[in-house]
Amino acid sequence: MAEDNYTWEEGDFEEEDVDETSFRSVKDAVLFAIDVSSSMLTPRPSNDPKKPGAESPASAALKCAYHLMQQRIISNPNDMIGVLLYGTESSKFYEEYGENREDLSYPHCYLFTDLDIPSADEVKALRAVAEDEEEANKILQPSNERVPMSNVLFCANQIFTSKAPNFLSRRLFIVTDNDNPHADNKSFRSASTVRARDLYDLGVTIELFPISRPDHVFDTSKFYDDIIYKTAPSDGEAPAYLHPDTNTSTAKGDGISLLNSLLSSINSRSVPRRSLFTNVPLELGPDFKISVNGYLLLKKQEPARSCYVWLGGETPQIAKGITTQMAEDTAQTVEKSEIRKAYKFGGEQVSFTTEEQQALRYFGSPIIRIIGFRPLSALPIWANVKHPSFIYPTEEDYIGSTRVFSALQQKLLKDQKLALVWFIPRKNATPCLAAMIPGEEKVDDNGVQKIPPGMWIIPLPFADDIRQNPDYPRHEPSEDLIDAMRDVTGQLELPKKSYDAQKYPNPSLQWHYRILQALALDEDVPETPEDKTTPKYRQIDKRARDYVLAWSDLLNEEAKTAFGGTAATKSTLVKRGPKDRADSAGDAADPPKKRVKTEGDAASLDDEIKRSFEKGTVAKLTMPMLKEFLTSKGRSAAGKKADLVDRVEQYFEQKL
Amino acid sequence: MAEKEATVYIVDVGRSMGGRHHGRSVTDLEWAMQYVWDKITCTVGNGRKTATLAVVALRSDETSNELSEDPSYSRISVLSNLGQCLMPDIRKLRDAIKPSNTNRGDAISSIVVATQMINQFTRTLKYKRKIVLVTNGTGPMSGDGIEEIAKKLVKDNIEMVILGVDFDDPEYGVKEEDKDPHKAQNEKLLSEFAENCQGQYGTMEQAIAELDMPRVKLVKPLPSFKGMLRLGDPQKYDSAIQIPVERYSRTYVAHPPSASSFVLRSGTTGGEPEGESGPGQGDTLTSVRLSRTYQVEDASAPGGKVDVERDDLAKGYEYGRTAVHISSTDENITRLETSACLDLIGFIRQDHYDRYLHMSNTNIIIPERMNDKASLALSSLTHALWEQSYYAVARMVTKENRPPMVVLLAPSITAEYECLIEVQLPFAEDVRSYRFPPLDKVNTVSGKVVTEHRNLPSEDLQKAMDDYVDSMEMDYKDELGNDALPIDDSFSPLLHRIESAVRHRAVHPNDPVLEPPEILAKFAQPDPELVRQSKQFLDELVSKADVKKVPPKTKGRKRQRETEKPLSGLDVDALLNQEPERSKRISPENAIPEFKQMLSRADSIEAIPDAVKQMCTIIETQVRNSLGNANYDRVVEEMGTMRGELVDYEEPALYNDFLRSLKEKILREELGGDRRELWWLLRRSRVGLIDQNTSDRSEVSEQEAKDFFSPT
Repeated sequence: MAEDNYTWEEGDFEEEDVDETSFRSVKDAVLFAIDVSSSMLTPRPSNDPKKPGAESPASAALKCAYHLMQQRIISNPNDMIGVLLYGTESSKFYEEYGENREDLSYPHCYLFTDLDIPSADEVKALRAVAEDEEEANKILQPSNERVPMSNVLFCANQIFTSKAPNFLSRRLFIVTDNDNPHADNKSFRSASTVRARDLYDLGVTIELFPISRPDHVFDTSKFYDDIIYKTAPSDGEAPAYLHPDTNTSTAKGDGISLLNSLLSSINSRSVPRRSLFTNVPLELGPDFKISVNGYLLLKKQEPARSCYVWLGGETPQIAKGITTQMAEDTAQTVEKSEIRKAYKFGGEQVSFTTEEQQALRYFGSPIIRIIGFRPLSALPIWANVKHPSFIYPTEEDYIGSTRVFSALQQKLLKDQKLALVWFIPRKNATPCLAAMIPGEEKVDDNGVQKIPPGMWIIPLPFADDIRQNPDYPRHEPSEDLIDAMRDVTGQLELPKKSYDAQKYPNPSLQWHYRILQALALDEDVPETPEDKTTPKYRQIDKRARDYVLAWSDLLNEEAKTAFGGTAATKSTLVKRGPKDRADSAGDAADPPKKRVKTEGDAASLDDEIKRSFEKGTVAKLTMPMLKEFLTSKGRSAAGKKADLVDRVEQYFEQKL
Repeated sequence: MAEKEATVYIVDVGRSMGGRHHGRSVTDLEWAMQYVWDKITCTVGNGRKTATLAVVALRSDETSNELSEDPSYSRISVLSNLGQCLMPDIRKLRDAIKPSNTNRGDAISSIVVATQMINQFTRTLKYKRKIVLVTNGTGPMSGDGIEEIAKKLVKDNIEMVILGVDFDDPEYGVKEEDKDPHKAQNEKLLSEFAENCQGQYGTMEQAIAELDMPRVKLVKPLPSFKGMLRLGDPQKYDSAIQIPVERYSRTYVAHPPSASSFVLRSGTTGGEPEGESGPGQGDTLTSVRLSRTYQVEDASAPGGKVDVERDDLAKGYEYGRTAVHISSTDENITRLETSACLDLIGFIRQDHYDRYLHMSNTNIIIPERMNDKASLALSSLTHALWEQSYYAVARMVTKENRPPMVVLLAPSITAEYECLIEVQLPFAEDVRSYRFPPLDKVNTVSGKVVTEHRNLPSEDLQKAMDDYVDSMEMDYKDELGNDALPIDDSFSPLLHRIESAVRHRAVHPNDPVLEPPEILAKFAQPDPELVRQSKQFLDELVSKADVKKVPPKTKGRKRQRETEKPLSGLDVDALLNQEPERSKRISPENAIPEFKQMLSRADSIEAIPDAVKQMCTIIETQVRNSLGNANYDRVVEEMGTMRGELVDYEEPALYNDFLRSLKEKILREELGGDRRELWWLLRRSRVGLIDQNTSDRSEVSEQEAKDFFSPT
């Protein structure tokens, strides 16, 4: 239900995915329709001798569907997905429900995964058919008879009508290598166009994932241009001239590259575009406005919250919590309209009526008002409080918005400028001062858009949000020392010298769902998580080793000259291995006189604690030692002494 | 812990304070009290027990103070003693502070009384001591022993603030014409006194003007991470770097105070509490408690749901629609085990980084305090990054078992401060790939790339835009003359508005809420001077842009009409016409498309009511046959579609009539039993009566449409 889709950000009244004007619930349903024909089932061997293997288009499509299903469980837990195979020898369509009594209303259509929020069993079944050839062969048998596309489309229509009524976004993903299914049958062809029109009127968008045959390039003009519409009527927010670029991303080539380009193309359409705010005026000057829509292209994805499960039935069931508000004194249920808001003040409550409360929060209607321009360099790197919003023009309220927006974006890009804006994204939202910066389009290796062109709105902190920098003693390093460090950092550039988010899946999010999947599918729980954020230690050692050691020696030297015996140091900067121990013992032999805490050197602290552990006398160590040791190992140093001792012992036990 | 405070406010309530001067609409006392109330309520709002204050009335009708035996201390009464000030105290003070019937009472004596109060209360403990005197300076003042008093204040470490109504202040530019010579003499006395005790002396006008300036609360920096900045793995490699560092917030959003929910205490019937007299206002409310019950679906139960006990529930998660339960022994099984760390992953070029990737508030990384070597080591890294135009990318875990983050570390070096700025970067899952067409070219269906199009700026438009942007360049520099943004001058509007509204309401419960002070909206509009300068360029831009507002009426249907053809432009309507069955009967399983098509092909007025009638029958049948709520969503969709179409076809009455009859039938339970849930769903889905706002042709007023859905 729509209300379940309200996502509240912590302490922030940012609603996403709420359409106030529509009766539809803001959810997405994707139905894959995968063509199962002999050409779709023919494996295409890899051309790359290094990566042997063969992949048929059909199995690539199933892998994509499986991948998308898994991904959506994490990213869009309320959205539906289904898989319909067509052209199969066998047929399957809700027979178990008996809704359609004439058994074969849709012959050669095989509803493999019913359109729904996926269940663990469905994930398992889809994985089996995507990854296990034997399993696949049971179902993936092409029929000799050609299935009329009109039947496939109407079958999809019925699935959407009954399983996903009232969804704001319903999409049919057709994966096929046949660009002209009814070349020889005019009536089939016209029936298909009529059924496609039905889907359009129902608000279902058809997205085509065409696959070229080795000897034939997929040509959409032969059939599919009659089937596909520019935009679905429900997708009012798509710019009027946005063409589904069916012909830009035709998958072709051998099995592996086909799979990759299909994956990339499906990924890019995995989520329907949902706006954060719509038709907000962008005011360039007094009385000169254009309209834009706002989107969240970057949003921290968190694991779904835990819920309560009722175990009293045959299968575990999610218990839905219902909250009622009641008066403290009478325990009577209270209506929303009776509630008033009050602030704690001087030991009592200071209250406001609902109207007053609203008036206090009202600072004007939604607007993005430009109050001037500044060079991009004026935006400090620290001036940030949250993720940005992305804006793109819409012709909905003002015709000509797109060209004006485009002119502004190009000017700002050319001169590297930003616009300072007064930003009220939604009704009753709190205004803020924000930097609007231009963003260029970026595409990936497959030519699929990664970052769209447009502008980004970065909310700025207010004076109230800026914290004071605490003082500390500054020591200017020598040029030599800086150069030594430059040698180190210069060795360790990331690929393309830039940060690519796609290379870093969120390890805790992935682990959370990996474990859930194992529990749900009754599999063994994996032991070690995959964590791509872990630095490549071996490479770092290999590439930077000599430079690090040089830097370290220089640092020790400079520290010694600068601070001498009075240096307030605590830990070594480079922890030497056993063979260098003598060296670091040299450091320890020159103990700092002004001790900040009880001990001097981390290496010697490590040794001492390790010895204590071996002797079983960790409990005799002092609290400050335990704390420092644990902190330096990234372990929590909170709690009573007994807890710390436990943790230290655990640390060594794990290492053994 | 913040320092303990003891502040005594001395308020001159003499008869002359009741007068109005210099065109002010309020009395001098009311005017001065704006300042005093602001200070008092600010202290109250902090809610700290150790922030104590007292109020002393000068030139009061009565005399009540510790030194009252000495006649030179008459007409001074202590209204409240030092202590935490709470709402009852505020109410008491508000009632007590009124102009008196006397002009006698010595301001200097009142300072002695206040000093005495502070010294008795604070003894030798560490306190921030302060006396604030507000007066119009027309009372009698004796300069006897004034130097000793000033010395005593300095010795006791008491800060003295003297604010006078219409006192001359050449610095601020206030000079009262025709000043009473007696007042002038008093002003001189007070000003010298303030100087002698190193206190502050000023005119009330300035103090009041500054009240609108929001106060920014300073927060003591607390480290959110203490540990090692590492390069490499010190467990495995002897070439690993470890630098002890600490992390502090650089930005952190200051949220407005949060309100809690209350309802009127039972027995207190209705009425706005503002209407009641102030005292006891807080007592009429009782807090709202949340109670939670749990239900699971059960097809056999009436309504399809049964209540279950909280105790029978286990913790779990949803994996798709499968419930995965986690036994209490495995509670943390889905949590990734991590250790606190700040590990460098690699380095990137500053010009290869897109600023919009910043995902969070920012922090600073500085060397462990009191660790000189760490400071030197970190500084060499900061400088190396700076010189090479690098940012570092690192993996950070702030506390054991917290989720890892990938952060950007940017060098920041100024004359005053040096640190690394740290901000979170997006993970793969955080990036949503919504695609948009390019803005500098248009790809046509046929695959051509066009650079001249109505959606692309013409050369003229681009030129006009360039000129306008150049003309609207703001001039804003920081102290060092670098390009900057006016961040330090912008204040959180909501935070300050709510705080000041609460404080105001506490003192004046019957006043309406105030308009926000101008300073909060300082950046809501461009600078008028800038607007004036750029006017001609804007005019040029407007004329070249030729932007037209879409009249609200045509927003929906008509403009989408042109898109109702497939990419090839094939006329599908012609094909539809060849199916005679479709033009007569709407099939229930394909109701929505066929309804729409029937309307769009309607060649006579009668066709519309006929289509609606068929649709209504289909809907009612679906309701009647619905098992529980099984068909409800489908019904809502059909109703919503019908509503939208009939608005477009300007036939609102057809829809409204149907909805009225449906309501009747639902209320009378004629559609297969209790269908109230459907009614609730229709209400929530906003598919109510079409009112006049939505369609000119409707005879239903907005209120009527609203009432139609309200529970009766």
